[in-house]
Amino acid sequence: MQLINSYILSFLVFMPLVAAFAVFLSPSTAVARWVAMGSSILVFLGGLHVWYWFDGSSPALQFVESYDWIPTFGVKYILGVDGLSLLLVVLTTFLLPLVLLSQWHIDNPRQKTFLALLLALESGMIGALAAMDVVFFYVFWEAMLIPMYFIIGVWGGKRRIYAATKFILYTVLGSLLMLAAAVLLYFAHFRQNGVYSTSLLDLYSVRLPVSEQMWLFTAFAVAFAIKVPMWPFHTWLPDAHVEAPTVGSVLLAGVLLKMGTYGLLRFAVPLFPEAMVVAAPILIFCGVVGIIYGALTAWVQKDAKKMVAYSSVSHLGFVVIGTFAVMAGGELNVEALTGATYQMINHGISTGALFFLVGVIYERRHTRQLSDFGGLAENMPWFATLLIIATLSSVGLPGTGGFVGEFLILIGVFQAMPIAAMFASLGVLLGAVYMLTLCRKILFGPLDNPENKVLKDLNARELGYLVPLAVLAIVMGIFPNAFMGKTKPAIEHLAKHYKNYSLDYKMGYDMSDKSAN
Amino acid sequence: MLWVMLLAPLVGAILNGLLLRKAPKLVSHLVAIAAMAIAFAAAVSMFLEMMHSGGEAKTFLAFDWLDAGGFHAPFKYVVDRLSGLMMLVVTGVGMLIHIYAGGYMHEEVTTYRFFAYLNLFVFMMLQLVMADNLMVMFVGWEGVGLCSYLLIGYWFHDDKNAAAGMKAFLVNRIGDIGFLIGIFLTYKYFGTVSFTELRQLIGHEPLDAVKIGAIGWITLCMFVGATGKSAQLPLYIWLPDAMAGPTPVSALIHAATMVTAGVFMMTRLNFMYYLSPSTMHVVAIIGGLTAFFAATIAIVQSDIKKVLAYSTVSQLGYMVMACGVGAFDAGVFHLLTHACFKALMFMAAGSVIVAMHHEQDMFKMGGLRKYMPVTHFVFLIGVLAIIGMPPFAGFFSKDEILWKAYIGGGPLLWGIGVVTAGCTSFYMVRLLCLTFYGAHRGAHHDDHAAHGHADHKKQDDHKAHGDAHGHGDSHTPHETGMDMWGPLVVLAALSATVGLLGVPHALGGHNLFAEYLEPIMLIPEAAKEHWEFLEATYSHTLEMGLMASSVVVMLIASFTAIKLYGGGPAPVLTKWRTSCSGVYNTLSNKYFVDEFYVANIVTPVREIAEFLWAFVDVKIIDGAVNSAGEICRFIAGTVSFKMTGSIHRHAMVLVVGLVCALSVLVFN
Repeated sequence: MQLINSYILSFLVFMPLVAAFAVFLSPSTAVARWVAMGSSILVFLGGLHVWYWFDGSSPALQFVESYDWIPTFGVKYILGVDGLSLLLVVLTTFLLPLVLLSQWHIDNPRQKTFLALLLALESGMIGALAAMDVVFFYVFWEAMLIPMYFIIGVWGGKRRIYAATKFILYTVLGSLLMLAAAVLLYFAHFRQNGVYSTSLLDLYSVRLPVSEQMWLFTAFAVAFAIKVPMWPFHTWLPDAHVEAPTVGSVLLAGVLLKMGTYGLLRFAVPLFPEAMVVAAPILIFCGVVGIIYGALTAWVQKDAKKMVAYSSVSHLGFVVIGTFAVMAGGELNVEALTGATYQMINHGISTGALFFLVGVIYERRHTRQLSDFGGLAENMPWFATLLIIATLSSVGLPGTGGFVGEFLILIGVFQAMPIAAMFASLGVLLGAVYMLTLCRKILFGPLDNPENKVLKDLNARELGYLVPLAVLAIVMGIFPNAFMGKTKPAIEHLAKHYKNYSLDYKMGYDMSDKSAN
Repeated sequence: MLWVMLLAPLVGAILNGLLLRKAPKLVSHLVAIAAMAIAFAAAVSMFLEMMHSGGEAKTFLAFDWLDAGGFHAPFKYVVDRLSGLMMLVVTGVGMLIHIYAGGYMHEEVTTYRFFAYLNLFVFMMLQLVMADNLMVMFVGWEGVGLCSYLLIGYWFHDDKNAAAGMKAFLVNRIGDIGFLIGIFLTYKYFGTVSFTELRQLIGHEPLDAVKIGAIGWITLCMFVGATGKSAQLPLYIWLPDAMAGPTPVSALIHAATMVTAGVFMMTRLNFMYYLSPSTMHVVAIIGGLTAFFAATIAIVQSDIKKVLAYSTVSQLGYMVMACGVGAFDAGVFHLLTHACFKALMFMAAGSVIVAMHHEQDMFKMGGLRKYMPVTHFVFLIGVLAIIGMPPFAGFFSKDEILWKAYIGGGPLLWGIGVVTAGCTSFYMVRLLCLTFYGAHRGAHHDDHAAHGHADHKKQDDHKAHGDAHGHGDSHTPHETGMDMWGPLVVLAALSATVGLLGVPHALGGHNLFAEYLEPIMLIPEAAKEHWEFLEATYSHTLEMGLMASSVVVMLIASFTAIKLYGGGPAPVLTKWRTSCSGVYNTLSNKYFVDEFYVANIVTPVREIAEFLWAFVDVKIIDGAVNSAGEICRFIAGTVSFKMTGSIHRHAMVLVVGLVCALSVLVFN
């Protein structure tokens, strides 16, 4: 056990990359998909292992692996998870087998490359979540972009080049700002402590005057806001989603966007706390605008996928306001923060499911125009059931995960900024407006289009990757503590001590004597 | 027992909805009925147990649910006098409706979906009424909304039904936002959402002015929720459209149970409402106006279900008005009697509709007494109950409300109530006459498809399959089977007698019902003075006088209706219709409220949304992004023209630039 715990995170980060090479080099698609599936399941089991052995009573960084990487500059290879990243890591490892299952039937010469890219993407995502060194993080952050760029740019729709370029330029613009700010922080740390270090654990100790914090915070916040995407930096998202292949959208919505909100929590808030307090009202404003704006624009879309894409802008707005609910006493609101971290996972599940479902009918009909559908509940009852469950979670009906996240965010923000919470509550109504419109246009009404009459209901393979998501959406709504329980200390720690943030850590080889709880 | 009652309908729903999709109709029906029978049996046993122990409240903890920061909301339930009563209504009336529904849905090809939704609804309704905290209540609150949405749109092939379901869900969600904000405020000022703790904090401990002010807002916000769920002004608009659903649904959800949730919620929180007289004024006024307003619309409707729908809105208005004058017990009493007689009338109307081959226009009915004697008889009892004919159920519950409205709200509120009662008598007797008396005006049923409603076309198609519900052979309406009229007879018996639980003191009774609910009501110390009239000894003569006058109004209105409609619609009606076309059109178009909302809210918001997308998003933001791209490209083009393009030079420039930037940063 000690051996596993010592290297489990490196395994999660690099196993998919190794598998990606193996997949790329495998002799046939059949072999490739088995290799891909096998490795992703192995990684998922690894993710569950981390979850099981994670000590939920401690806010510390756990399963830490730390080695010198570029000693001259103080760059380290540090991996670790805490309550902020734990669920996101597990979610990522969970989504990959489902994504691969949805690709199982595709057989063409390029498919090997596609599967390899998906695995490489997984590697980048887990790496970015687990890396605790700024340089190391930055490498993964940029590395994620490359597979995604190809997934959209090569396997995408008609305007794929435009969308892929827009996606990459937007993100890189943000990343460069972040890089410049990180370098500054690095020198500030040197000035303060006399040693060079890029380890985040060291950088947390840097205390900058508010005026300097403002610049650096802005740079970090913009980088992450683009990724989220926060209004008004969101316009790359609908294009990217519409052009991306289904699984690209699933991973984009499921995990990639969360890198933005995760980054805000991991970097922007604890590194520049005073600046964050100053900027919080602006960010909350943008979040609330995003909630309403995203919902309204989603409502008028005629393309089902674009509708779901804009819904992400709205849902992520909730996460943003949940992150910045500064109470009168200067602490962050714990309910809101808990809701925000939970909503990241929920959104991954429900929106992932929605993109899959839109993909299902797109694959059958080669159109996503809402007007081309209607009455599918008649001949696709299982599809209807699952679409309704995903919708309910998306609109935050009690009993689904979406409710837990949204509710905790709203009640928390209400304690800090009642007016903002009241406007944000409109999102609860507007979310139902566009999602029920989507259901009505696709599922209900007369089944009068001859092309729709012949559509077959979900097959076993499709049920295989959709049912787990639907079940999870409900289980997360009824037993949220099974999921948030272990993240609590870390969230409370951040909420209370973000102004003086520091993280304890437990090395991977020390984890084994902790009993799981 | 509680768990049995709560879980039986859920198990039924899961069995029917997920596992037994291919099972025959009879199986899905039996599963659903079995689930309800088990739940009802459990409810009865729990009720007896509770009464045996003197009506003590008992709480049951299932497991922790929400737990973050200081916020704590477990799945916890309470069995007390209020929830005990409600669980009997929900499972009892629910079971009767489930039995009836089998007959009603006989012509459907598959019914698993229907019974799954219906069972799920009962499960959610039980969450709502058994909840021990606001959060669990909210689970039920939105859960019943979901089931209502699914059931209204049950015949989804017609987009009209799907639209009606969606409208119901969305209008309810507007109210739900009010409910949510009420929860936020409650947590902010009292740090808990548990009813038990709130009751202790608010009912028994001294409060400062800030908290009392907060309670004013909390109760008002929660009332917004109630206007959605209980179909009050200005959010009642979804309920008439909800009649698109199958009739058993209208009976169960849109008459007997779900729509009373608002009244139930206010009664649950009565100690908060007592503390804010200004909210109570709003509640009483909204209730009274809704009662009156809906009753006037019901007078001119020709669709039998629409009449019943507006009648429900109007009766809910009575209940809300009762809450508003502090007579929560009277509100709940009327809830109980209304559940019996309105469920009865809806289902009897359903039988009529089936017999008329899905004709819902009363002007095409008439004379059905001959063909459907049992249905006629039970409907008659329902009508007598709702118009307040002594000693049927509605007489006691309605007069209790009117009496309390008089002493708590004054003569004006009472007057509105009495006029409404007159309207009620008029439209109900009108409905009875048009449907059951006079000559049969139905066309001969020689062409089914022509007069089947579009939304029921599917069923009509299936008649060709020789579905033996008596359609194929006879063209005349006929009595339904016992599976359908059986439950009606039970409800009729209840409608006739249940009022006797609340015989007022003025008539020599003891008002057992008010006595039963007494421990639920809690007037906090700070509000005692304001509500002391509730405790005062009543003037029996006044009460008798009011009672007599409302009976007189009822009789006059009923006889007028009999005169006008007893032998079919009187010819004079057509003349009136043309001479007062303004009034008639306003009423028959429901005061154009829907049109007003569409024109002033829905359309403008939609236009804003279009503008945001087509202009702000595409033109402004994306325009800026794209032109930034163009500018970069332009600059890059110019610069690269000047540079040699050698990698060395690029690298040099990059390094120099970085060094400059960094030195500025480090040395400033």
